[in-house]
Amino acid sequence: MNGRKRYGWHRFINGTYIATFVIAVLTAAPLYWLIVSSFKTPVAMGASPPQFFPNPVSTANYSQAFVQYDFGIYFRNSIIVAVVATALVLIFGTLAGYALARTPMRGKFTTMVTLLIISLFPSIAVIAPLYLLLRNLGWLNSYQGLIVPYTAFNLPFAIWILRNYMLGIPKEMEEAGRIDGASPLRTLWSIIMPMALPGLFTAGIFCFTACWTEFLMALTINDVNNYKTIPVGIATFGTPLEVPYGTIFAASVVAVVPVGILVLIFRKWVVSGLTSGAVKG
Amino acid sequence: MTTTTAPEHAPAHPRPVGRPETQRKKMARMGWLFSAPALIIIAAVTIFPIIYSVAMSLSNVTVTGNGFSLNGFTWSNYSLVLQNGTWHYALSFTLIYTFITVAVEVVFGTCIALVLQRLTRGRGWMMALLLIPWSMITVINAELWQYIFQGTYGVATYLFGLNNVLGTPTPAIIALMIADIWKTTPFVAIIVLSGLVMISGDLYEAAEVDGSSGWSTFWRITVPLLRPTLSLAVLFRVLQAFGLFDLPYVMTNGGPGTATTSLAILGYNAMFKNLDFGTGAAVASTTALLVLLGCLISLRAFKVQVGDQEPS
Repeated sequence: MNGRKRYGWHRFINGTYIATFVIAVLTAAPLYWLIVSSFKTPVAMGASPPQFFPNPVSTANYSQAFVQYDFGIYFRNSIIVAVVATALVLIFGTLAGYALARTPMRGKFTTMVTLLIISLFPSIAVIAPLYLLLRNLGWLNSYQGLIVPYTAFNLPFAIWILRNYMLGIPKEMEEAGRIDGASPLRTLWSIIMPMALPGLFTAGIFCFTACWTEFLMALTINDVNNYKTIPVGIATFGTPLEVPYGTIFAASVVAVVPVGILVLIFRKWVVSGLTSGAVKG
Repeated sequence: MTTTTAPEHAPAHPRPVGRPETQRKKMARMGWLFSAPALIIIAAVTIFPIIYSVAMSLSNVTVTGNGFSLNGFTWSNYSLVLQNGTWHYALSFTLIYTFITVAVEVVFGTCIALVLQRLTRGRGWMMALLLIPWSMITVINAELWQYIFQGTYGVATYLFGLNNVLGTPTPAIIALMIADIWKTTPFVAIIVLSGLVMISGDLYEAAEVDGSSGWSTFWRITVPLLRPTLSLAVLFRVLQAFGLFDLPYVMTNGGPGTATTSLAILGYNAMFKNLDFGTGAAVASTTALLVLLGCLISLRAFKVQVGDQEPS
């Protein structure tokens, strides 16, 4: 571009690299602090000036999170709720997304816009009647008490993603299947699904992340220790007088890792989901 | 928009069975059948409760042994809410918070995207790093920043010589915004980057040939072409920030005093702490109404989203 050739370490001293370095440091610093603090002893946690590297390195926080604070239970609950809800979202979302992309249903536009608006509604708007509904069903403090609402709240976005994805699949593919006498369900399963796989990854990772991080509903619906999910569990660690930050951060590191790995593996699809227009935070 | 009057697209391939019209009706029925499970579950868990919530906000609600019952129509929940100073404060706090955080996130996000666009090596790693805050549980984010700003041994308190940040209203609000901006700016940056990548390089070359400076190229080419991407991101962020709950609930518990009490926290406390479901529902319904208003105002943007691939 600018004609000059740079050699050696001078190649890295330019505006772009310096700016990148600053961005990386600002993004990573709080993460570093989270990880480092999880290895500190309670005394080191409260040290002033703060220890920038834990000394001594202690794993007591990790064992404490699992032994004293039932973090294992919360982790299990989060996994069950997020996995089942994601599976349901993908099944129902594929069916609905296919119908909205391909069949000549009436009112498709209205349905799509309604779904989009619903997916943006703050959950505080529905929490009280939802609580009542689940209470009448006897579903408070149960897995289905969270799985069903999570499925419903994540379906609109998944339907959007999958519909947009299926619109891009050539119609000829399924017509070939139909001529061969395959039933619609069969066509969807063996022709559309494999081609829509990236869309399924995107919808799946978004749904899983949303279920993994959701707080308000989890706080209201499942408040018994055996059914708490990670966010609620972590928020209720300790007593009003004492916040055990070390234990909280140890649990946090364990909670960040699964989703972090998932996001890194499926990075491409997360980015394509974020950028497909139907954006959700 | 009925099936019979809709312009019939000539099928590219012959349909296997029946006349096109019969086939079409059959397909439409199948479409509803396929969407039914999704639509029913969405209706049951979202639309029904929203309607019920509005009904609740317009009734005298009494808490009974198993939940609550609605007795008679009243406006009093709304008049109570609309005259309440705490509600006024929560509304303006939520609005200001939303405005500032989204504005900062968009500016920073655009800057980061512009840098990443120029980055030839290691862009994948940067994207990976930026996705971590996005995927993090907000509760963890809240605990982390609470610790960073802790009054006596917090690292920010030490490094910047701060004093009791979370115990003083304005600094507490700023701390909350910093935590939000740290978590959400990367998300905006990735969206903007995708928009930047789609802008054709030819345009930039043409601008350079015409002697346009970097700054004016940015304002006259990059920004206008980025607008659709940007406006949608802003819209979603605004509507989402309006439901602000997790971060202040954990990081500052709405305090000090009511300094960081958002509309959602106010509604939650009314319903689940004071068991005042009528007022809580009124707060929740007004919040929902404001979001709906925002949606309707931007319906045009949504229409663009649904796209013109609407065959019938």
